[in-house]
This record gives sequence, structure tokens and C-alpha cells, in this order.
Amino acid sequence: MKLSRCAVFLLALASGLALTTAAARGRAVAEQPLVGTPQVVKDLRWGDVLFYFYQGEYLNALTRLSAAQELGYLNEHALEAELLKGGLYLSLGQHEEAGRIFRALLNDNVPLDVRNRAWFYLAKVWYQRNYFEEAAAALASIRGALPGDLEPERHLLEAQVLMYMERYDEAVRVLERWQPVGDGNDVWSAYARFNIGVALVRQGRIDDAVKLLDGVGQLPAPNEERAALRDKSNLALGYALLKADRPAEAKQVLQRVRLVGPQSNKALLGVGWADSAQGRFTKALVPWLELRDRNLLDAAVQESYLAIPYAYAQLGAERQAAEQYMLAVNAFAEEQARIDRSIEAIRNGALLEALADHDDERAGWYWQLKNLPDAPETRYLYHLFASHEFQEGLKNYRDLRIMQRNLDNWALSIDAFESMIDTRRRAYAQRLPMLEATLEGVDLDALEARKNELESRIAAIERDNDIVGLATERELAQWRKIEQLEAALASADRSDPIVEEMREKVRLLRGTLLWDFNASYKARLWRARKDLRELEVAYREARRRSVLVERARDEYPARTEEFARRVEQLRPRIEGLRARLASTAEAHNRHLASIAIRELEAQKERLAAYSLQARFALASIYDRAASGKSGGGE
Amino acid sequence: MLRTLTAVLLWLLVSAASAQDAARTTDELKSLDQEVQALKKEVLDLNRELFVLEEELLFPANTQVAVFVSMDVGEFFALDSVTLKIDNKEVANYLYTEREAQALLKGAVHRVYVGNLKAGEHELIAIFTGKGPHARDYRRGATVKLEKGVGAKYVELKISDRAVRAQPEFIVKQWE
Repeated sequence: MKLSRCAVFLLALASGLALTTAAARGRAVAEQPLVGTPQVVKDLRWGDVLFYFYQGEYLNALTRLSAAQELGYLNEHALEAELLKGGLYLSLGQHEEAGRIFRALLNDNVPLDVRNRAWFYLAKVWYQRNYFEEAAAALASIRGALPGDLEPERHLLEAQVLMYMERYDEAVRVLERWQPVGDGNDVWSAYARFNIGVALVRQGRIDDAVKLLDGVGQLPAPNEERAALRDKSNLALGYALLKADRPAEAKQVLQRVRLVGPQSNKALLGVGWADSAQGRFTKALVPWLELRDRNLLDAAVQESYLAIPYAYAQLGAERQAAEQYMLAVNAFAEEQARIDRSIEAIRNGALLEALADHDDERAGWYWQLKNLPDAPETRYLYHLFASHEFQEGLKNYRDLRIMQRNLDNWALSIDAFESMIDTRRRAYAQRLPMLEATLEGVDLDALEARKNELESRIAAIERDNDIVGLATERELAQWRKIEQLEAALASADRSDPIVEEMREKVRLLRGTLLWDFNASYKARLWRARKDLRELEVAYREARRRSVLVERARDEYPARTEEFARRVEQLRPRIEGLRARLASTAEAHNRHLASIAIRELEAQKERLAAYSLQARFALASIYDRAASGKSGGGE
Repeated sequence: MLRTLTAVLLWLLVSAASAQDAARTTDELKSLDQEVQALKKEVLDLNRELFVLEEELLFPANTQVAVFVSMDVGEFFALDSVTLKIDNKEVANYLYTEREAQALLKGAVHRVYVGNLKAGEHELIAIFTGKGPHARDYRRGATVKLEKGVGAKYVELKISDRAVRAQPEFIVKQWE
């Protein structure tokens, strides 16, 4: 049997964990076996579980694993089976159950490395599910260092957890403590420094943040991932400096962001604000006018619609400012109407179906929404779809739907089971009379008596050295004939020479027969004993089979009824769970739709606020124009 | 206005900086999550019970015969399909997907057939098709006599590489 490498299990677990950063997602995690050394598959059922596990069919793998455990088929792989079970529960988002299994398993009998990994994965799942206290406790259970890339990832995770618990200083300390280990140029270190920087900005420690974010913002960017991180860092630093009223430095940093990329709109807006803050409104207009021609879905583009007339107004170009404010008001109104239509589409329930049906069928939180369906509402929700909460909810929704289909199939099977049980009942009723007749026709007690009698006879022959007793039928007939002849000759005239000759011949015959009996006695006795032993074996087998048949006759109906009882109990459970799955899936649907609608409404509100500001500014311009205070343009 | 807008954007920026930082309606999510977890656990338990029932009802241990396929290395043979005949009657014809074949190569074992047989002697014929050395079509059969006793009978059909002859090897192993 080929080696089944539990390393693959871990790799799957590792790749199954949606890592905290885009960097992490793209990186292979070092393969280390969970159970020390590669294991030889000693139970075929274990290999059968792996067959589904390796294909990512976690629900199927877990079902087979649990069933095989219950049937006692995995005794040779008890520890691995439990570990895999924990992993499978994790993969299905069952972190409480997984945690219970890992806690039960991870004792001193398990290698430290295995324990550490298990705690690490558990911490990740808890983190993903917003159970930050549990995640912190699991991370604290790790002793020593994790191998390979897991170690930096662990520190990053620990810092993230602390950050979400709003323990920023500790988060910073964790990353600072670990940071010197890296050479400062690896991607984990870069992410860590970025995260520290953001944490420091949140605490208002701008000067400390500058050191870190500035470093990350000037790292070489050999690939898209690194370039994106650099952009993010420069953007965060730029806005932090803007907020700290250091516009000249901010502009310098913001200009490092690529002109085309996910952060470019925000950077252009920021560059404009940096110039604006220094009173250079003409310069500020350059990036803002560039922004205005971009997609109005982006918040930075929306804001540019207000920034442009603001700059014109500052330059005294009130007419152009008024035109631009009018343009903004109209654009915001159109966008709000589009958002309304999207909200309506989501209320009609189409969004989640389209999302959940996307990508392949396999269950588990390994699944992530990778391709968005092409629907009008999806373009507003990119940010939301990327969010942890939404992805988690969507995974749960998909899992529930997969389980619904799974139970639909079992509901059909249950019908088949009932037919099967009916068939068993009928077949039994048909076969019973024949069985009874056969059992009655066999008298094992009489057989036993005959066997015993035979045993006694042979014992007597041996005891009495009765050589004639083992004669064949033919020999016995000859022996009796001789005895008859002897009896007849005994009363005959002994003086008659013919009689005498006859007597002599009979004596000779008797002697010959006795000689034969005597010569073959031992061999015959040995054969008789051998036959007796074989008879004994055959008799015992007949007795055993008879008992089995009788037992089967008596127990079969009870077993059939036991199956019927189990089926009867399972059917309502299937139905009950199908109903609960449907209602919970519906609740999830509503919950996710409400999150999406909330997001859209927030966007609408922002547009409304912008629109209000534009109208207010417009009113001010008109007011000034009416009172003759304005100029006619730049 | 500048300050207000900048503050709004700074918040947007910082929140966008980490993909994890979406608005978290944590309590509502946790409550739903716990409900889903409990429900999933029940479904998983039910699945196990149904699976065990199916096995015990349809394939009782005293008559059960199962045939498994496994692969070792697979350098000289890429599996396409397996056909099984028991007592000259075709009982399974399984075509492997790429994903399934990959699972086998990782060390998994596929239960290609499970059924019931009376105690006594039976004949199993397995026919493997696939791509052999130099990507040539390859078809090989293996015949084995089965002595079915009172317990379940497992047969493993193992496809192995015979490096010396650069040929695949088909090994039949019986498990009680």
C-alpha cells in the first residue's frame, strides 16, 4: 500500500485556511506531517476516507470516517483518524467540535510539533470566526517555534488578534519582538510592519508610524502582491500625514502610489488635498480632474466631484464652481437611483443565489468566492464581498445548501431502505416453511445416539481384542458359513473319511480367515478410529450449523424489525433537519442581504451627504453672486 | 470641508487597508454561526447513522464483499477505468476522473465495488485500462479465486510500478 502522507492532510488544512493577507494566500505553506512520519495505510477503510478527503469532498470524507470509526474499521489509524476528523470539522467550519477533538487529543502523548500545529490552525479558525479570546488562548498554547513559514504567520496572526481586541500596544510589541528575526525584506515582515504602522496611526503615534510605513512604501516590488502592499503603505502614510497637517510630506509619499491600481484613486485625491492644503489650488485641480473621469462608484471619485468646485471657488472662479457643483448634484442623484435599483434587486433575493451557485460544489470554509457574477448590484459591493464577515456568511449559506441536497438524497434512500425491509420480511415468510421442514427432517439426537453406540462398539472390540468384530460384511458371511458348517460337521459321523476331510477343510478355512482378521486387525482398528473421529467432526459441524440456522430463523425477524425501527426513527429526523436547514439558510439569506443593503444604503447616505454639501455650496455661491460679492472666473 | 472629507477618507483607507476590517455585526453573526454549527453537527451525525444503517442493511458482514483499488507511484500507468466481473458477471465498470486518479496517487484507496456473495468459492476478474509506458493504451486483466467465508471479504487491487522492467504491475491482495 502506498504511503498515505498526512502531510497532504496538513497541506490541505493549510491551504484551506483563508489567510489573513493576500500575501499569505499566494504562499505555499511548508509541508510537515501532522503525525510524525508518513503512515502506511493499514485499514482499507482509512484509504477510502482519504479518497474523498483528497478530492476536497469533506462532508463525504467526514461521514465515511465517522461511520468507519463506529464500525470499528479504523483501529490501526485511531490517532490519525481523530486528527483528520478534527481537521475535517475545521474545514466545515465546525470549530467548536474541532476544538473539542484537538483538546482531547493534544496531550503529552502527541508530538509537540503536532500539538503546536493543531493549536495554530485552531487559532486561525477562531480568528476567522471572530472568536478572538479563543484564538488568543490557542496561540498561547503553542510551545516553541513553528516550522517554516508558519512561524512568521503565527506572529502576524497573534498581532491581528490583539489588534481586533483593541490591545494595540501588545500587538505592536508582538510584531516588534518578532520583526528582527526577518531580514526586513521578506513579505511577512513587510506585512507585519504595515500592520504595526496602521496600529500606530490608530493610536495617533504618527512619527513612529512614519518610520515603518515609509520603509514598507519604498521596498522593491518584484510582483503585483508586493507592489499592492507598497501602494497601501504609501497611501496609509500619506493620509496619516495629511491628517497630521504635514501636506508637503504627504504629497511626496502619495506620489509613490502607482497611477493605475486599486489605490490610485485615493492617492490622486490625496495629492490634490495636499496641494490644496498648501494653497496650491490650480495644482490640486490636476489630479482631481483626472479623477472625475473615472468610475463614480469609487468614493474617491465621488469626493473629487466636490473637491473640484471647492478648488474653483477658492480660486475665485465662482461660475465654474457653480457648474461643477451642479454636475456633482446630478451625478450623485443618478448614482443614488442606480443604488436604489440594486437594493431592490437584492431584496428580491437574486444576489445570494447567484453568489452561492458560483464556483464548484464542494463544501467547507476552504471555499471562497473567487469570481463575482455579472449583476448590476455586484459592482457596488466589491468591498463588501471581500469582507471577512460576508465571506463567512456566504460559506455557511453554501454549506447549508449542500447539506440540504445531501439530505434530499438520503430521503430518497430511506424510501429504498423501507422497500428493502419489506422485501426481507416477504422473503423470510416465503422461506420459513421450507426451513422448518428441513430442520424437522434432521434428527441430530438420533444421529448422536448412533455415533455413541458406534464408539462403544469399537471400544469393546479393542478392549476384548475382538478381531472378528472388525470384519467386513463379506468376511462375516464367510465366518458364519464356517460356523454353520462346523456345527453340521460336529454331529456327523467322524469315522467317515469324507466327513473328516470336510472338517479338515473347514478348519483350514477358519484358520485362514482368522489369520486375515488378525493380520489386518491393527490397520482396521486405526481406520475405524479415524472414521469415528471424522464422524465426530461432521456431527459437530452439523450441530453447529443447525444452531446457526435455528438462531437465524429466530433472530432474523427481530433484526429486520430493528432495521425497520431505525428507519422509522431516522425519517422524521431527516424531515426535521431538512426544514431547519431551509429556515436557517433563509435566515442567512436575509442576514447577508441585510448586510449588502446596509452597505448600499451607507453608500447612498454618503452620496446624499455629498449632495447636500454641493447644494449648500451652490446656494452660497448663488447667494454671493446675488449680493454682488463674486468674481466671474479664474 | 477639507478636514471632514479627509477624515472620512482616512477612515475608508484604514478600513480598506486590511481585508478583515469590514463592518462587523459580530453578535448577530456569532448567533447565526452557533446555530449553523449546531445544525451542521446534527446533519453530520445523521449522515453517519444513515451511512452505517445503509452498510448494515444492504451489505451485512456475513455476505459482504468489497473490492478496493489503490495505486503505488503510478509512473508507468495512468488509470482510466476498472471493470470487475464476479463469477463471469459484470458488477462494476468505473471510469476515473482526473481528480480521483490524483487522490489515488496520493495514497487514497477507492472502494470500487461493494456487494453480497454466498459463502464458498468465487472468481473475480479485474480489467484495468489506461495509459501505459510511453503513453500507449494499456489494458490488463487479473483473475483471482475468492474463498468467501462467514466474515466480510475485502479484495485490494493494487497497481504498482515494477521499476526493473519499467512496467506496471497488478497485485491482488485479499483481506479478511
